[in-house]
Amino acid sequence: MKADTSELPRAAEKTVTLNVNGQTTRVTAMPDTPLLLILRNDLHLNGPKYGCGLGECGACTVIIDGVAARSCVFPLAGAQGRQITTLEGIGTRNRPHPVQQAFIDEQAAQCGYCINGMIMTAKALLDRNPHPTETQIRNELSANLCRCGTHLEILSAVMRAARHQPSPDSVQ
Amino acid sequence: MTQTLPTRDELLAQNGVLLIVDDILPPSGPVAKGGTPTVRPMELGLFIAIDQNSRVYAFNGHVDLGTGIRTSLTQIVAEELDLQMDQVTMILGDTERAPNQGATIASATLQISAIPLRNAAAEARRYLLQQAGQHWAVGVDSLVIESGVIKAQDGRELTFGQLLVDQRVELRISGNAPLKRLEDYKLVGQGAARVDIPGKATGELTYVHDMRLPDMLHGRVVRPPYAGYDTGDFVGTSLLEVDESSIAHIPGIVRVVVIRDFVGIVAMREEQAAKAARELKVTWKPWRHQLPDMSNIEQAIRDNPSIQRVVLDQGNVDDALAQASERMTRTYLWPYQIHGSIGPSCGLADYSEEGIRVWSGTQNPHMLRADLAWLLEYPEERIDIIRMEAAGCYGRNCADDVCADAVLLSRAVGRPVRVQLTREQEHAWEPKGTAQLMEVDGGLNADGGIAGYDFSTRYPSNNSPTLALLLTGRVEPVATMFEMGDRTSIPPYDIEHMRVTIHDMAPIVRASWMRGVSALPNTFAHESYIDELAFAAGVDPIEYRLRYLHDERAAELVRATAARADWTPRTQPMQIPEEDGVLRGRGFAYARYIHSKFPGCGAAWAAWVADVAIDKHTGDVSVTRVVIGHDAGMMVNPAGVQHQIHGNVIQSTSRVLKERVTFEESTVASKEWGGYPILTFPEVPKVDVLMMPRQAEPPMGAGESASVPSAAAIANAVYDATGIRFRELPITAERILAALNGAGVESNSHPPQSPKARRSKWLFGSLFAAFGALLGMAATALPWRAEIAPITPPAAGTWSSATLERGRLLAAVGDCAVCHTAPTGASNAGGLAMQTPFGTLYSSNITPDPETGIGNWSYPAFERAMRDGISRDGKHLYPAFPYTAFRNIEDADMQALYAYLMSQTPVNQLQPVNDMRFPFNVRPLMAGWNALYLRNGEVQTQPQQSAQWNRGQYLVNGLGHCAACHSPRDLLGAEKGGTSFLAGGTVDGWEAPALNSLSKAPTPWTEDQLFNYLSTGYSDAHGVAAGPMGPVVSELAKLPKSDVRAIAVYLAALNEPVSGSADARPATEARLAERPSVSPQSLSNGQRVFEGSCQGCHADGLGPKLFGVSPSLATNTNVHSTLPDNLIKVIQQGIDKPATADLGYMPGFKDSLSNTQISDLAAYLRSRFAPNEPQWTGLPEKVAHLKANLGTH
Repeated sequence: MKADTSELPRAAEKTVTLNVNGQTTRVTAMPDTPLLLILRNDLHLNGPKYGCGLGECGACTVIIDGVAARSCVFPLAGAQGRQITTLEGIGTRNRPHPVQQAFIDEQAAQCGYCINGMIMTAKALLDRNPHPTETQIRNELSANLCRCGTHLEILSAVMRAARHQPSPDSVQ
Repeated sequence: MTQTLPTRDELLAQNGVLLIVDDILPPSGPVAKGGTPTVRPMELGLFIAIDQNSRVYAFNGHVDLGTGIRTSLTQIVAEELDLQMDQVTMILGDTERAPNQGATIASATLQISAIPLRNAAAEARRYLLQQAGQHWAVGVDSLVIESGVIKAQDGRELTFGQLLVDQRVELRISGNAPLKRLEDYKLVGQGAARVDIPGKATGELTYVHDMRLPDMLHGRVVRPPYAGYDTGDFVGTSLLEVDESSIAHIPGIVRVVVIRDFVGIVAMREEQAAKAARELKVTWKPWRHQLPDMSNIEQAIRDNPSIQRVVLDQGNVDDALAQASERMTRTYLWPYQIHGSIGPSCGLADYSEEGIRVWSGTQNPHMLRADLAWLLEYPEERIDIIRMEAAGCYGRNCADDVCADAVLLSRAVGRPVRVQLTREQEHAWEPKGTAQLMEVDGGLNADGGIAGYDFSTRYPSNNSPTLALLLTGRVEPVATMFEMGDRTSIPPYDIEHMRVTIHDMAPIVRASWMRGVSALPNTFAHESYIDELAFAAGVDPIEYRLRYLHDERAAELVRATAARADWTPRTQPMQIPEEDGVLRGRGFAYARYIHSKFPGCGAAWAAWVADVAIDKHTGDVSVTRVVIGHDAGMMVNPAGVQHQIHGNVIQSTSRVLKERVTFEESTVASKEWGGYPILTFPEVPKVDVLMMPRQAEPPMGAGESASVPSAAAIANAVYDATGIRFRELPITAERILAALNGAGVESNSHPPQSPKARRSKWLFGSLFAAFGALLGMAATALPWRAEIAPITPPAAGTWSSATLERGRLLAAVGDCAVCHTAPTGASNAGGLAMQTPFGTLYSSNITPDPETGIGNWSYPAFERAMRDGISRDGKHLYPAFPYTAFRNIEDADMQALYAYLMSQTPVNQLQPVNDMRFPFNVRPLMAGWNALYLRNGEVQTQPQQSAQWNRGQYLVNGLGHCAACHSPRDLLGAEKGGTSFLAGGTVDGWEAPALNSLSKAPTPWTEDQLFNYLSTGYSDAHGVAAGPMGPVVSELAKLPKSDVRAIAVYLAALNEPVSGSADARPATEARLAERPSVSPQSLSNGQRVFEGSCQGCHADGLGPKLFGVSPSLATNTNVHSTLPDNLIKVIQQGIDKPATADLGYMPGFKDSLSNTQISDLAAYLRSRFAPNEPQWTGLPEKVAHLKANLGTH
C-alpha cells in the first residue's frame, strides 16, 4: 500500500546552502519555504517551534547574523549565506548557554513551548545590551507570547542571565 | 524516547520483575444529561514495575499538560521508595502502558489519581523490605533504603534488582501498605526542580511536534467554512467538490483524501502540504441557513434551549426578596474565549492492518483511543496512543482532532503521516471556553443584611466530539446537553434564603471545558454581587464577606490575604486621589473551585486582592499588582504550586482584560493573535503569592483554583477606581471609556450615597483614608498608549543641511529658545518660569531627548502640537503656547522646524511641575511669533539645474520611465502630461505616489532620504518599498551610486516649495471636519489587531530588535496617503521579496485576518498614526475588492 512518489515533479525547487550552528548544509526545497520548516524537517532541529506562521508569537525565533529573527516568516531563499543559530547551537543539557542555565535555574517553563523564543530573543538582547533594565526586557519580549503565564519566571531568568554577563567595566 | 519503554503487557510477561497492579474500572467520559455512563470492563492497571536491573517504572493515566505533574508524581514515588528523582521513570498516559484513569481534568491528578500510585509505591517498598529482611534474617524495622539501596545495620547492602533476579512477583494494591510519615518526608513538600525543563531549554525531543519517523509524510487538512460549529445538519454534509487539478503545479503531492467534509492532503514535504492546503480549490454548499446570531451573545444564550435544574433551594427566597428593602437584580456575561495553546496541535499516526500507533499530545489518551477505534471501525486494543508533551492547553484543544486527521491520512497512504494544524485552524476550531450568562436577583434588608440570593446560570457546553467523527459522518452532529454549568454555582456564603438554578444547555458553537470550568464565570457573578451588596450596605467588602463565610479555613485565608495586601477597610469607591488622570482602585474576591459531578468536590481555596490603574482619558486599564492567598492543603512541590498560581493569575488577568472571541456572520473571526490578543510582557502585573502552610492536610488541586476569583477581584477594583460596575467581560479600554463618558466618574448611579456626599468626603478626608491603600499598591509603570505613538528619535543625518539651516532660521524667527531655555540652562531644554496671574508655568523641554523632551515625537505629533495645541500624549497644552498662530505655518516650514529641533543635542531635563492650574493667558509672550505669518507667500528660488540634476531628469524621465507608474493616465490609457506629469498613478492596484509633491509626505523627503530609499528600499522616515516598487529598487541597485544620487537630486528638486503655495493644506479644522466617523468598535477592534498582529515589528522602539527593519507607521507614507490601497495591499500580501536582502520580510495576513479586521486595522492605523488626515472612506469595500483582485505584486 506504499504510495508511489518517485516520479513527482520537483521543478519549482532550488538548492540552497545554509550555515546553521556553524555547519554548512545544502537543502533543496521551494525557495519560499519558511526557514522554520527547513530547520525542523531537513536539519531535524527541535528548538524553533511553529506557533503562528505570522511572526506574531515568537516561538520560532532563531538568531540570524546576530539578530533575533522569526524563522516562520523568513524564506529559505533569504537564508543563503547567512549565519543561523538555533537553540541547539547555543548549548546542550551538559553545557548549557548561560541564558539556558538561567531559564533552568529559574524554572522558567510550564509547557515550555515558547521557551525557545524566549531564550533566543533574550540571548540576542543580552548580546546587544548585556545589562538591560526590567522595562527593556519586558519590551524586548513584548512580542513573545506565553499562554501558561510563566512571564514572571522568564523575567527572572533573563535578569539572572544579565547578572552573569561580564560587568560593563570588564568589557573593552 | 517513549517507544523504547516497555509496554504493560511486556512487563507483565517479563521475568525478574516486581509488578504492582490493580483492577481498575476505567472512568466513563463525560455523560450527556439523562444519559448513562458507558461501562467499560475492568482492566488490570500497572502502577509500579521494578526490574532486576533496578529500573523503576511508575505509571499514571493522567498526563502533564505543562503543569509539572510529572515532577510531582516522580516526587511521590521517589519519596515512598527512597529513591533519587532520576531513578524513577515516570510514564504518563500511554495507552499501552499507563492505567486508564480518565481524562486529565478538574485539576484532580494529585488530589485523586496519584493516590493509587502512592499506595503502589508503598506496596513495593513493603515487599522489598520484607524480602531483604528475610534474606538477611533481620527485622524489617532495622533496614533503611537510601537511593534505591536497602541497607542493613551491619553495612550489608542489596539493590532492588538483586532481590528480583529471576523472580516474577505481581502484587495488588492492598491499600494497607504503610505510607511514609509526614515527618520522614525528604522530597514531598520540598520545592523540586522540574524534570522536564533542561530538555526543553536545550531543544531535546520533548513535544509531539518534534516526533519524526523514517518514511514519514506530511499532512495538512482543509477545514469546512463553518468555522467553529460542530452541530447542525450542515456538519459533515456540505462538501460539493474538490478540484485536485488546482494543486497540480505543486511538487510532492502524494494524495488528496476526501471523506464527506473531511479533506486532507499528504505530501512528501511539509511546505508542499501547506501550500497545497492553501491553494486546493474546494467548493462547499450554502450552509448558513440556521446559525444563531452571534453578534449578541447574551441573546444567543437566552435563545438556546435549556432544561432547568435547581441544585439548591433553601429558606423562602421569593418571600424574602419580596420583603427586601433594596432589591438588586444583576446580569453578568462571560464571553467566548480560547485556550490558545501557543503551538497549534500536531499528531503523528502510523497505520497498518496489524496495529496503529499514534503519537499525541492528547489530554485523554484512552478516550482518544476509543474515538479512533470508532472512527476507523478498528479494534481498540490494537491502537496504541503514545502520549508526548504538547503546547500547554487549559482544557480541551485540538490535540485529539489532529490525531484523528493523521490516522485517516496514514490509512490512505500506508505510511506514517504527521499532521500539523495551522494557527488559524487551532483558533477557529478548538472547542472554545464557552460564554456564560449569570443572573442574580437579590437584595438587602433594612439592617444591611442579605435578604436573599436567587442565582441562575446558563453554560452552553460541554461536548465537542473529535472533529473527524463529525466531518466523516461517523457521529451525528447533534447538540448534546451536559451538566457542567454547576461548578461553584453555590456561593460560599451562608445565606438563609438562597436558590441556585442551572439552565443546562447544549453548546452553541463548539465548546468544551476551559480552566475554571463554569466556576470562574459563576464566581464572577457571586463575588461581584456580594461586593455590591457590601458597598450598598456601607460595610467594608471583606468584613461583609466574613459575616457570611463560615468555612473557617476559608475565612482564615481571606484574613491572611487581606493582611498581606495591607487591605484598608473601605465603604465607598474612588477614595484614592486621582493622579495625572490615572484612577486607581483595589478589589477583593474569594472562591473555592468546586469541580466534578454535582455536588462535586473542592480543590484549593483562593483569594485575590487586585490593584488596577485606569487612564481616565483613554480608558486604558492595567492590573498593576495581585496579592493572592492560596490554600492547596499539602503541597507535594510548593515551587510547582507557586508556578501554577503565577500562571493562573497572569492567564486569568489576560482573560478578564483582553480576551473575547469575535464572530463575523456568526462564525469565528478570531483566527490569530491579532483577532485574539492576550496579555504581553509589558502588561504583566506584579504578583505576590501567599501559600497557606497546610502540609498536614490532604493535597488539593492547584491547576485552576487561583484563576477563579480573578474576574470579580479585577471588576471590583475597577469599581473602586471608577465607581462603575462592569458585569460583562473583557473589561477593555473601549468599554471603560464609554462608561466613563456615559455615566461619568462622578455620577455613577450604583453606590447608594449621593454624589454630593461623596464629593464632600473627597475634599475633607479622603486623602488620609486612602493613604493606607496607596501604600499597599505597587508603583508599577503603566503601559499607556499614547495618542500618537512615540517613535525612536530620528538618526543623525536624517535631514539635509539645507533643511536644517532653514529650520534653524525659522526657530530663530519663532524665538523658540527665548521661552524654552531657563536662564542658566541648556538651550531649548525648558524650565523657564513664566509668571502668570494664576501662578507659575514652566516651559517644556523641546530638545530631542526621548524621556524628557520631544525625542519620541513623530512629525504628525509635532505638527498637531504646533497646530492644535495637543501634546503627543494627547494632553492639551496650555495656551501660553501660541498654537493658534502656529497653525498657519506652511508645511515646508513646519517640517524644517521639526527637522531642526529633532537634530539638536538631546538634553535630559525634566521641567519643573507647573505651579498653577487652568486656565490662563499670556499674551505678551506670544508676540514674537507673529513674524511667522510673514512666511506665507514667500518667494522660492528655482533650483540650479546642475549636471547632476540633468542626469537625474534623464534617468527619471528616460530610462527610468518613472512616469509610467507615477503619472495618472487619461481615458485612453496614455500618461497625462503638464501639471499631471509625475502627479501619481495606480499600478496593479498599488498607488504610485506623486513624485512632484513628495513634500506632502508626513515627513518631507530630502535628497538623502530619496537616495537611501532608492538604494535600499527603505527610509526610516517614510517606510519600505513594497509592491511593484520593490523590484524597481532591486534594479536600481545595479546602477552606479552616482546615478541613484542624481535621481534623488532631481526628485528632491521637483519638490522644492512652490511659490504661492496654491495647494497648501487646508486648515486642520477644515480637514478634520471632512473626516468620516469611524465607530469606536471599529477602532477598538483595529487596535486589538494592531497590538496582536503588527506591533511586534512596528513598535517604534518599544518592541524587540528583529531581523530587518522595523518601520515606524507614524512616518509611513502609506498611512498618510490619500488612498488606503497600498496599506491594505501590504497588510494582505506582506512583503516576501524585499527590495534588498537586509530589509527582512513581512507576512501577508489575507488568509488570517478577515476583511472586517483588515478594514478596522486600516482605520485604526489612520486614526492613530495620521491623526491630522481625514479618515478613509469605503474601507470595507476597498479591502474586499483588493482581496478579490490580488494582482501580481
